[in-house]
Amino acid sequence: MDYQYKNGVFIYYLPKELDHYYADKLKRKSEETFVKEKINYLIFDFSNTKFMDSSGIGLITGRFRRIYDNGGQTYVVNVNQNIDKLLKLSGIYSIIKKKNTKEDIIEEMIKGGYYE
Amino acid sequence: MNNTNEMIVEFKSVALNEAFARMVVAAFIATTNPTLEEVSDVKTAVSEAVTNSIIHGYDGGDGRISILSSIKGRSVYIEVRDEGCGIPDVRKAMEPMYTTRPKEDRSGMGFSFMEAFMDKLVVESTVGIGTVVKMWKEIGVVKHHFE
Repeated sequence: MDYQYKNGVFIYYLPKELDHYYADKLKRKSEETFVKEKINYLIFDFSNTKFMDSSGIGLITGRFRRIYDNGGQTYVVNVNQNIDKLLKLSGIYSIIKKKNTKEDIIEEMIKGGYYE
Repeated sequence: MNNTNEMIVEFKSVALNEAFARMVVAAFIATTNPTLEEVSDVKTAVSEAVTNSIIHGYDGGDGRISILSSIKGRSVYIEVRDEGCGIPDVRKAMEPMYTTRPKEDRSGMGFSFMEAFMDKLVVESTVGIGTVVKMWKEIGVVKHHFE
């Protein structure tokens, strides 16, 4: 499973290596959902991801832009040390949030009144 | 063990080969005994250079990309070469966040990452001839990139 969408929450389950090849593939596959649905929470799950380059940054910022104008929030979760280094260096943490686990994201959703 | 070792690999400019390119360089430099972080740095830099050749150099079309790498002791040298369209303004291309393709979700961070993860970066390009990206890294030397 590459991604999942339900009730305004979109989760990307990122591949082992997130480079130009896989980033483009993921973008194409998920495009329709971004056109059709109003996404309130966008989550990039890095649990399985060991490698990323700047194409991954492009994917995240590109998807972020698509949901930001509608008030959507973007998160990254389960990020390893090397990928965290890239994310820091790119400056992306000024627009998206990093959480250690998905439970931490759900907690924020509850606080924001998203889950009753 | 101060003899120079060297390897050259050439492959078709297709996106699938980005993974192959960074793997082969990572395997080649293994004898310098790098940390996992150093391997990750080198893999990212190689991936960036090869991706540039594929997307920009050959504009997604047919072409050949070659990588030459040499190691002496713990000094690593990597050269990524294409015979693509070349870069009209290298300095501009190297500016962080600068991209000629914002609509395709390119981050414009490629050269910035190469610079940050390697010790030294030189880009030579001629329009209509091609581009050579040269990168150096000393393994076992702690470098603080940021923070």
